[in-house]
Amino acid sequence: MTSTTSKAAAAPAALNDETILSVRDLRTHFYTRDGVVRAVDGVTFDLARGETLCIVGESGCGKSVTALSILGLIPPKAGKIVGGSIRFDGTELTTESESTMRRIRGNRISMIFQEPMTSLNPVLTVGEQISESLRIHQRLDRRAAWDRAIEMLALVRIADPKRRAGEYPHQLSGGMRQRVMIAMALACNPQVLVADEPTTALDVTIQAQILNLMLELKDRLGTAIILITHDLGVVAETAQRVIVMYAGRMVEEAPVAELLSHPKHPYTRGLIGSIPRRKPGAPRGRTRGRLQEISGLVPSLREAIPGCAFAPRCGFATARCTTEQPPFEAHGPRHYAACWEVARVEAKSLSEPVGSEA
Amino acid sequence: MATMTAGPTAATARSPAKGALTWARRNKTIVGGTLILLALVVIAVLAPWLAGDPLQFEPTNRLKRPSETFWFGTDQFGRDVYSRVVYGTRISLIIGLCVAVLATFIGLVVGVLCGFYKTVDTILMRLMDGMMAIPAILLAIALITLMKASLFIVIIAISIPEIPRVARLVRSVVLSVRGRPYIEAAISSGTRNWRIMVRHILPNTVAPLIVQATYVCASAILTEAGLSFLGAGTPPEIPSWGNVISLGRTFFQIAPWIIFFPGLCLAITVLAINLVGDGLRDTLDPRISRRM
Amino acid sequence: MSSAEVVLRVRDLKKHFPVHRGVLSRVVAHVQAVDGVSFEIRRGETLCLVGESGCGKSTVARSITRLEEPTAGSIELNGVDITALGSEALRAQRREMQMVFQDPYSSLNPRLSAGDIVGEPLTNFALAQGAELERRIAALFEHVGLRPEAVHKYPHEFSGGQRQRLGIARALAVNPSLIIADEPVSALDVSVQAQVLNLLIDLQEQFELAYLFVSHDLAVVEHIGHRVAVMYLGRIVELADNADLFGAPLHPYTEALLAAAPSLETGARRERIILQGDVPSPMNPPSGCRFHTRCPFALPECKQTDPPLLEVAPGHHVACLRRPVGGDGAPLTTA
Repeated sequence: MTSTTSKAAAAPAALNDETILSVRDLRTHFYTRDGVVRAVDGVTFDLARGETLCIVGESGCGKSVTALSILGLIPPKAGKIVGGSIRFDGTELTTESESTMRRIRGNRISMIFQEPMTSLNPVLTVGEQISESLRIHQRLDRRAAWDRAIEMLALVRIADPKRRAGEYPHQLSGGMRQRVMIAMALACNPQVLVADEPTTALDVTIQAQILNLMLELKDRLGTAIILITHDLGVVAETAQRVIVMYAGRMVEEAPVAELLSHPKHPYTRGLIGSIPRRKPGAPRGRTRGRLQEISGLVPSLREAIPGCAFAPRCGFATARCTTEQPPFEAHGPRHYAACWEVARVEAKSLSEPVGSEA
Repeated sequence: MATMTAGPTAATARSPAKGALTWARRNKTIVGGTLILLALVVIAVLAPWLAGDPLQFEPTNRLKRPSETFWFGTDQFGRDVYSRVVYGTRISLIIGLCVAVLATFIGLVVGVLCGFYKTVDTILMRLMDGMMAIPAILLAIALITLMKASLFIVIIAISIPEIPRVARLVRSVVLSVRGRPYIEAAISSGTRNWRIMVRHILPNTVAPLIVQATYVCASAILTEAGLSFLGAGTPPEIPSWGNVISLGRTFFQIAPWIIFFPGLCLAITVLAINLVGDGLRDTLDPRISRRM
Repeated sequence: MSSAEVVLRVRDLKKHFPVHRGVLSRVVAHVQAVDGVSFEIRRGETLCLVGESGCGKSTVARSITRLEEPTAGSIELNGVDITALGSEALRAQRREMQMVFQDPYSSLNPRLSAGDIVGEPLTNFALAQGAELERRIAALFEHVGLRPEAVHKYPHEFSGGQRQRLGIARALAVNPSLIIADEPVSALDVSVQAQVLNLLIDLQEQFELAYLFVSHDLAVVEHIGHRVAVMYLGRIVELADNADLFGAPLHPYTEALLAAAPSLETGARRERIILQGDVPSPMNPPSGCRFHTRCPFALPECKQTDPPLLEVAPGHHVACLRRPVGGDGAPLTTA
């Protein structure tokens, strides 16, 4: 397998004081009865202190596995990190022991999951759950940890935190549970917060509350956030920088406004085009017209993909695309894309379809 | 696909023969149990050729020890225990099979009706609960004393106490399947009730029913032996294992072989059926999957 | 559009679920999932029901198809009142009213082949058999963009989007006049979602279908709906043409929903009304206007008076005390 990681080469000494997390050519494989699944197949990025980075892609693109790999939460029998490195604040996480990982996890890197109900323990009160991690990681005594838990609940704007701390998860609404998860994740002042689809299970009005809360707390506490989502709307509202993933690989990376206005990879274009939305400036109301489709299916990750993973669905694909993997390289300031045909893609207007029938 | 590098569990079968072999290796209990049962069936079918007359009295050969002429010895009437045990296999297997089929069928009908119609459910399930509160053997004895003992009556009497368990199982499957969206989809696309039952619900009951039927079968064979032992089962002239044991119990101290051989056969048969049942449960029930 | 015949007319539909408690499972309360909902849908029209989870939008859909028995109100399908029809008469009417479900995985029987699934409605109404049945199934597969060879495959061999196409083909099989779609694209990835939405729009134009489209996603609703009804706690709070509702929303809840929906516009974080708190329990809905507990513009009388759904401008219905008939629609200010 030839793998080009020219981004690592193009931006070699990006590591500076500002970088808190640095992922290089990460590869995570899962072993199933039918063979090896290359869930993450060469992911490289840096995260600066206090930055919000969004990883976006459709189901099965490897975005969640990337998050689990960073936290060392890949189930040991089912899969493992087979290559690359994850450096967190000077420590290499891929070779770290489980006990060290346990000290880092929930303390210096924490995670919020999509479904708060399943990640909260139903038989412990929320106050106990928040104070537990404080007692383990910060060595606070029972009293201090409990006080801090109530403080955290107030910080995530749960009304009447003293009473709520004594309640069980099932007594809270979905939005409140997610606030508790955030309180738990931020209790130890982590440097990195990984949020995997934190608002997908919530209603829009609650989603708006939670996203605003996360960004506000980020500004206040200086936590860097990796936000994993499938929703480009959430990306547009929260991210500073965006990575687009497809079939376990990165296809594009750019600052958010740049990515949404000048996407360079056909997949990103298709993703943006397939969202039902008004053209800027158009009157509101039934947009009608056809949405852009990306025809075809996501490729099986069980087989090695020699060229560009998107080639079979791409209207710009050439013979080279199916045989040679395009390098992930700069096509503008801080704008990277893995595509051989960027020039041709850019020449087309945004509204033109990217499907292979085009 | 075939060029895939092998992971730790890439033991995918390539040919049907190899596939069958892998399956057999993973399901030793089913294979073992089935082999024993097949042997028993062969013995039952070939009984007239394998053994002599099980009813023939030979007053000169009473209570003989196992020997070359009488492999399992003789009883107090000089009847060959070996022949009686071989013919007894027939009775036990017939009873096990008939009860399994009968109880499963009636239980299925009751369970489906209960799962589908609320009014039927409240009435029939109370009745089933009541029946489950009485030990099977007591219920069977009560039923047999009401009628003249015959093989047919014994089968009926053993089947009835087994029905509630089957009905409960079917009902729970029906209730859980009923709530699935594809049933609602079938309703809203105008499917008639009976068709929903037959086409969409019943196929889901097959796997748990097969497993349950094996347990019913094993339990029926034991119940029959218990009934015969108590003298309330198959008429004494029929050489069932229970009858043989029942007659031998008075001579247990001087002629233990009369009880030992039919008892051993009973144990082996029930064990084999349960092995098959457990194996089937493991393969058919995805919730208790043994492998990751 | 408004001259076309009415396919579905729902009047004052209510669905209350009893809440059982205790050993004797006495009814201690009722969840007022749907509490007085009225609307009509005409031929070739899409009416969208939009709202947050628990607002009763799915219960409306399920009550109309009588998967749930309505507590009160009437449902007329092509002029026939189906609210109290017996099971066989109702079954006959189902031919006119088919459903597409949210979950493309659990709404297809895994034991049946794709062809059997799509052909089932045809068999149910004895519309075709033998070679004719096969021909019509193949035609349906083509209509929804599936290869006719796929009839022999089983549901697990299809992707999520293809499964939803199967669900649509099944709904289309008996040429219904109304399709009720309950969150048909919310379980799908965006690129697949676009394929399915395009398909639904194409089929509507081709067959003059009426859609009742239930969704929580405002972008999808704005894309596909002709008229939109916004639901909150079992009631319709605003019902208007798509352009009016999205261009000039009148109910404060609609405004808040629109503001909360993420858009692709980046840059300065948009000024928006963020609703505080959660939706109150439908078991014990607030007095007066059900939205007053979260409404930034609530007046004291909103606590007492339950506002009726009024046509304040042609075709634009709102249930809000601060939006009287003939009002100017100017932005509300906090009292």
